[in-house]
Amino acid sequence: MQIIVKTAGDDFASRMAQMFETVIHEGHGSLVLVFLIGVIFGGIIQYTRVDKFEKIAGFAMLKDTIVPKMLFLAIGLSSIGLYFMIEAGYAHYHVKPIMWGGLIIGGILFGTSMAIFGKCPGTGPVSIAEGRIDVLVGAIGGLLGGLVFTLYYDDIFKPIMGESAGKITLPSLFPGHEHMVVLIFGIVVTIVAILIPKKELFDEADLSKLPEDQRPDRQ
Amino acid sequence: MSRLPWWMGGILMAGLLLMTFSVFGADRPLGASTYVPYFAGLIFDLDPEKYSYLQHIKNPGAWEGVMLLGALLGGFVTSVFITKSFRFSVIPTGWKKYKNKSVVSRLVWSFVAGFVMIIGARMAGGCTSGHFLSGVSQIAISSMVFGTVVMVSLIITGKFFYRKKEK
Repeated sequence: MQIIVKTAGDDFASRMAQMFETVIHEGHGSLVLVFLIGVIFGGIIQYTRVDKFEKIAGFAMLKDTIVPKMLFLAIGLSSIGLYFMIEAGYAHYHVKPIMWGGLIIGGILFGTSMAIFGKCPGTGPVSIAEGRIDVLVGAIGGLLGGLVFTLYYDDIFKPIMGESAGKITLPSLFPGHEHMVVLIFGIVVTIVAILIPKKELFDEADLSKLPEDQRPDRQ
Repeated sequence: MSRLPWWMGGILMAGLLLMTFSVFGADRPLGASTYVPYFAGLIFDLDPEKYSYLQHIKNPGAWEGVMLLGALLGGFVTSVFITKSFRFSVIPTGWKKYKNKSVVSRLVWSFVAGFVMIIGARMAGGCTSGHFLSGVSQIAISSMVFGTVVMVSLIITGKFFYRKKEK
């Protein structure tokens, strides 16, 4: 039996089918693998609870430090691992360009709204998946933001973002000492992750559903 | 165990990131904000021929779109069976404690913040995943600039937007 999927149409279903088709032909992992990466990504975020308002907005209020501790540890470890993988030919650089306007104005908009929303684009969907209606409303706002950005990209946003000043990494500024810079960076960031004092803001509504001996605030 | 400790989360996230980067995996960085304008294009039926940004994000948008579907499933299954956090709610507990108890206020702020957040992420070219995790792990200057600006504006906003003491 042959399964024929029509992807040439223009209705919403075929536009979705075209998304899968693009991924299949893109050569960045099979469709199953990309989906699986998402499942693990969502699983880690949910299992560590970093998608919670109390974790992200809590960090903005400096009442919770789980997000920076986890983020810095992940960065410290993978910066060393990634560098040697690239050296060995098992991975490639995908460095984003330095666009001063985009990075600074975009960063201010992003950081400000992250503190208010208590989510970011990766943790938001995980929150929606656990039933958070306010995040769903925020996602609709996000979709409209994406629409406005797409519609006015050439006229408004591209000029603000500015020209690319190159795709530079810190180690490349120290020719001959790249290994050293990467090792120092990775170790320092990992130590910072461990040294950030651990503070947690708990959500009683969540924890009350757990058995007494599994509550993280009682341990 | 119904919660993973932060260090386990960090190690697992580093593992996932390296797998995504490796040539045996996806040979690309992990990102989670390009899918938003991509889905906006799908939903509002924008013609990719007319909008240069859609051509620009055709491949990464589709990749992240599929990844996002996986993240929704992974988050849902974990929240139901492991963390037991699945329930419908409108106002986060922390918002009630440090901001207000108004549903309208929370929904309006969520909508506005979601809108601004995606514009910010797309202007900068990435978000917490694409810039912070993937970019700073490559020790990229652009991502370190973004990371610093985001951290500073996050903490300044947190200081002035919320009240200090619990109500």
